Amino acid sequence: MRRLVVAALLAAPAALAAQASIEGRLIARGLPADLVQQVQRIATEAAARGVPSAPLADKAIEGWAKHVPPARIVSGVQLFAGRMADAGAAVRSGGLSNPPGNVIVAAAEAMGGGLAADEVRSVVRAAGSAEEAAPGLSVAASLTAQGLASKQAVSIVVDAMQRRRPMSQLLDLPSVARSMHDQGMSAGEIGSQLLPHHGDEGATGRHGDRDRPNNVPPGPDPAGAVRP
Amino acid sequence: MTDGRAFGPETQRYLDGEPSTAPAAGDRASADRLVGLVRSYAESLTPVDPALDEAVMAAVRRRGAVPQGRAGAWHWLVTSHRVAVRPVWVAALAAAAALVVWLVPRAPVGRGGERPLALAPAAGPDTVFVRFELVAPEARTVAVAGSFTGWRTDALPMVRGANGLWSVTVPLPIGEHRYEFVVDQTRWVPDPTAHAQVDDGFGGRNSVIVVGPKGLVRS
Amino acid sequence: MEPSDGTLVRRVLDGDVEQYRFLVERYRAQFGRYALSVVGDRDAAQDAMQEAFIRAFDALASCRKPDRFGAWFFRILANQCRNLVARRRDVVDLDAMDLPGGDRADAATERSELAVSLETALARLTPEQREAFVMKHVDGRSYEEMAELLGVGTDALKMRVYRARDALREMLGGTP
Repeated sequence: MRRLVVAALLAAPAALAAQASIEGRLIARGLPADLVQQVQRIATEAAARGVPSAPLADKAIEGWAKHVPPARIVSGVQLFAGRMADAGAAVRSGGLSNPPGNVIVAAAEAMGGGLAADEVRSVVRAAGSAEEAAPGLSVAASLTAQGLASKQAVSIVVDAMQRRRPMSQLLDLPSVARSMHDQGMSAGEIGSQLLPHHGDEGATGRHGDRDRPNNVPPGPDPAGAVRP
Repeated sequence: MTDGRAFGPETQRYLDGEPSTAPAAGDRASADRLVGLVRSYAESLTPVDPALDEAVMAAVRRRGAVPQGRAGAWHWLVTSHRVAVRPVWVAALAAAAALVVWLVPRAPVGRGGERPLALAPAAGPDTVFVRFELVAPEARTVAVAGSFTGWRTDALPMVRGANGLWSVTVPLPIGEHRYEFVVDQTRWVPDPTAHAQVDDGFGGRNSVIVVGPKGLVRS
Repeated sequence: MEPSDGTLVRRVLDGDVEQYRFLVERYRAQFGRYALSVVGDRDAAQDAMQEAFIRAFDALASCRKPDRFGAWFFRILANQCRNLVARRRDVVDLDAMDLPGGDRADAATERSELAVSLETALARLTPEQREAFVMKHVDGRSYEEMAELLGVGTDALKMRVYRARDALREMLGGTP
């Protein structure tokens, strides 16, 4: 603990400035002093691990707006800080040495939603840049939350990136998956549809280069569908 | 997990009906109680009314035959916003009792769909107009609050339209957004049409949408 | 001897639409409790089922394995139930509810207090958890069956059921 505090004191002025602005933001939004202090302490410790402070403040503000009891806000912020620390490590191991805050946040939310560290790494690696990593992670996380196995969601995103699909197509995937869900397709079927060269002819009978599939009504038998 | 009220793994297996499990006494009692509650609940369920069969067949006969090929399937898809008829559950289905209008159909949104609120950020190449809707006829006020309002609950009030449908159109940057509706300034309600619902880290949920440059397509 | 799903579907596709009735009867019986438990409100559940059967009829030409009509139909039904619950949630304040659904006919038949609290608690689960829990404990299905019907892996299903159990335990008040 002492080491962390020392490290925090040695942290770049930018980090200290960031913390000062956290205090200001939290107070401006009406958080009580006690809570502000606790959040600030979490942010300081987290900064020593390379975790950006602003998202922690956002989280605290979200909790306050939702009338979450302060103790729970603190534990929620703590949890998020831990996730971001893990996420930062995963993102860096994927090749982004100095990831911007939004990428770390996207990775943290993705991991909170079930993506493993190595899956985050795959997406970051396939993205090759911070600009593509954040949306890639968001899409993978959304598809996972929409019911696809994380492995499949990540394959779909990585595949699209490797094929140099435009970002607009990638960002459309959650909408497309949602439409397919509303038409009665199962998560497994949606996953198969979104990965055009997946070797699952039996279930869908669909091949081709299109990565935006037709909207297909329920049809394929589930017994033949892919199990994540 | 949840203040010590989680069932341990052994108890979960016990509840799964797996053989040779040995849950702790307290857990086991709790598990048995839950099973008892479910049994009592299941027994209280009266079966679905067989009159349903005739109601379905009436609709089927009106169609005459299965709509053929792709056209048939598309008909089904396209009418996702159709009106549903609630029949009178008696032997003679002489007339439909009431018309229930489900959610108003939504066209895909894109640029310049609705007149936007005068609200930052200004529309640019990376912002898209997104329409939020909620059916809440009993509500006095409804707003959207989320990552794009700094979770402020007064930034995006929604406007009430016909049949208790509240709506607002907002310019949003492309990418992921988290939000919920706030009803009567106190009740946080998820958006069932969002792409996904995720944990908000406080024991609640947030709705998530991922917005691409062409906007959102919703059914 | 009862004709198989496949036989019935093929007869309907060939033009004998009256045969569809046997499929409706069969799956009303099989999935009725699921719809009731997941939706909570009797009328709404029956609406969802009716709608699902009609949609299934309209889309029957695209059912690729007629012998597995049941599983294919289940998807449509689950979807209808889910949509309906989502729409009702917009309108009904769950926290203010004493009895879910407000079905007067059921109130008249004396349902035990225990049954009502479970129903309220079920309504507060996430849709995925509620579906999985109902299939496991009300319908008594195995994880493998559930996986086939829902198109989701057994691991994910177990997770949903386990979480549902924990949530229900918390809502219903823990140890006796």
